[in-house]
Amino acid sequence: MRIVVQSVTKTYHRARQSIAALQNVSFEVSQGELVLLVGPSGSGKTTLLNLIAALDRPDRGEILVDGLDVTGLSRSAAAGYRDECVGIIFQSYNLLPQLTALENVLLPMLPRRRPNPRHALELLETVGLGDRSSHRPSELSGGEQQRVAIARALVNDPAMILADEPIGNLDDENARKIIALLSDTCRQRGKTLLLVAHDREMVGPADRVFEIRAGSLTSIERQATLVASQFT
Amino acid sequence: MSHRLIWRKLVFGGFGRRGLEAVIAAGVLVFATAIVAGSLMVVQGARDAIARAARDDRPDVVQVKSRFNRAVFETPRSGNLPPLTLPVYEPLIDRDKVAAAEATILARQSFLRNVVSGDSFLNIYIFGIDPEKEPQVSTFWVSRGRFLRGDDGALAVVDQATARALGVDLGGTFPVRKADGQDLTLRVVGILDRLEFRYPPPRTVDAPALRPGSSAVTSGVFVTLHTSEEIFGRPTLTDALVVAGTPEAVPAVVERLREAFRLEPGVFVSESYSRFRRKVHDFTLTLALFTAVGAATAVLAGSFGANLLHDVYADRRRQYAILLALGFRPMQSALIGIAFGLTMVGAAAVLGSVMAMVFAPKHFAMPSLMAELGTIEPKFDALVVAVLGGMGMAILALGMAPTALQLARCSIAATLSEERG
Repeated sequence: MRIVVQSVTKTYHRARQSIAALQNVSFEVSQGELVLLVGPSGSGKTTLLNLIAALDRPDRGEILVDGLDVTGLSRSAAAGYRDECVGIIFQSYNLLPQLTALENVLLPMLPRRRPNPRHALELLETVGLGDRSSHRPSELSGGEQQRVAIARALVNDPAMILADEPIGNLDDENARKIIALLSDTCRQRGKTLLLVAHDREMVGPADRVFEIRAGSLTSIERQATLVASQFT
Repeated sequence: MSHRLIWRKLVFGGFGRRGLEAVIAAGVLVFATAIVAGSLMVVQGARDAIARAARDDRPDVVQVKSRFNRAVFETPRSGNLPPLTLPVYEPLIDRDKVAAAEATILARQSFLRNVVSGDSFLNIYIFGIDPEKEPQVSTFWVSRGRFLRGDDGALAVVDQATARALGVDLGGTFPVRKADGQDLTLRVVGILDRLEFRYPPPRTVDAPALRPGSSAVTSGVFVTLHTSEEIFGRPTLTDALVVAGTPEAVPAVVERLREAFRLEPGVFVSESYSRFRRKVHDFTLTLALFTAVGAATAVLAGSFGANLLHDVYADRRRQYAILLALGFRPMQSALIGIAFGLTMVGAAAVLGSVMAMVFAPKHFAMPSLMAELGTIEPKFDALVVAVLGGMGMAILALGMAPTALQLARCSIAATLSEERG
């Protein structure tokens, strides 16, 4: 799935204050590419992901996903776009507390399909939670919840995964596992992955790294450069 | 794994501490529904009582009658005298003047037919009526044959008592002496087993009667108005009923009639509207009180219930936003909220209604001022259901509106980030 972000600007207005979350951001992501978005807190990474997922609208600019301008979609069409094309992994997991892990994974299948519990269970096994399928989120650790969220994002087999700091709340070991899981899955299935992270520590599997600071895209680095910089 | 189970959990699960608020909201709604339903049932029962009184009293009907014919009092009880046909009221009413009322006119001619033969006699009342209009105010139960039609000639409908006295049956005939001294033979086309003749003349002589103890005429021969004109030889009326469009229009109708007959001292215009209004005045005030109690309860308890419901919905905004983010259509997400609210409000309405039906008195005695209308039987009918349904919908709409507006106005990302904080 090819993503083209063109001159996107987004400003939040809160209590007479205007905060420029994104300023004139442009870039392209090719089909099957794994891109890491890095930058400090409040730099606009989550906003960018939200705009690509059509969870919000930019003030200016356009975002084309396989040629479809997702910034002008109606609420219903945007829901359809997310349903068919996007798998979202939230930083705070956003699992529903009344559902079990398996039911949470099945949730994205509900809008237009009949749930396929076998497929959901396979995904839970893939993320190492096959034996925790009947557990509720409150009975799972942060890392386990995040893995459920990853399985949920993959269950509809979307062409694009948007992961918003999926490792932000995890220890290093779990973080590496999650990143490895995500990147391996996306590579195997040819999915486009946009992954937001605080820093470059988890950069290993990424094809490119976009650095965002104060709402602007400050650098785009290729994997070869990144690997070299890690050892200097 | 049933997808229905997941839907059920989405609708009814995950309330956490708000579950208690949902239960309290449901309890308040049950209680409010019971009070509103009880009040409405009393109001509906009272409205029925008023409607019954209006049906019996017919406050919309104005009577125009001439002075009573004294000759009726002087009719011989015995003796060898020729038959007489006397108007019960004097025929002083000009139809054109009655038309000044600008309302529906039911013209009448009322006679007493007195027949003396040998040492016995028979008194029979004859009424010339408009068969098309008279059923608006009077009720005729035809047991055999048919009722009169507008174009009927020398045909008559009689009740059982008069038929027995005359010795006639369906298809039989009997003579009536006309004003010119000739007899007109009337053929019976219908037999009435019951009769409620609005504003009948007073019974002054011994005559057949369906209700023997009554001081008014309860039995007679009914013919068309043109047949009665032929018998009596005059087009003027002995009495007439004027039906106003509404009871409230009666004073104006009476005014016009009194103006039209101001030079006719023998013609009297009387109405029952004023008495009826006095009779139901306190009753309607009490009804208004019950309506106000019901409305106030609905507003107060409804607001409380809606507020609790609002808290529950506000707490679930995050769930609705998550569902939207995962690809649920806005309508699907909204339906989850509506299903919860409808279930809660619907269950509360049903339970409250059952409580009202079980605990409301079967007979509700109003204060003595209204005793004239009798006791009220509280009634659970479609209007009560409609009001309770409307109340439930209003509470649901008020409870949901802020959450629905928030989700409609703000982006999903904003809702998720706000709720997170």
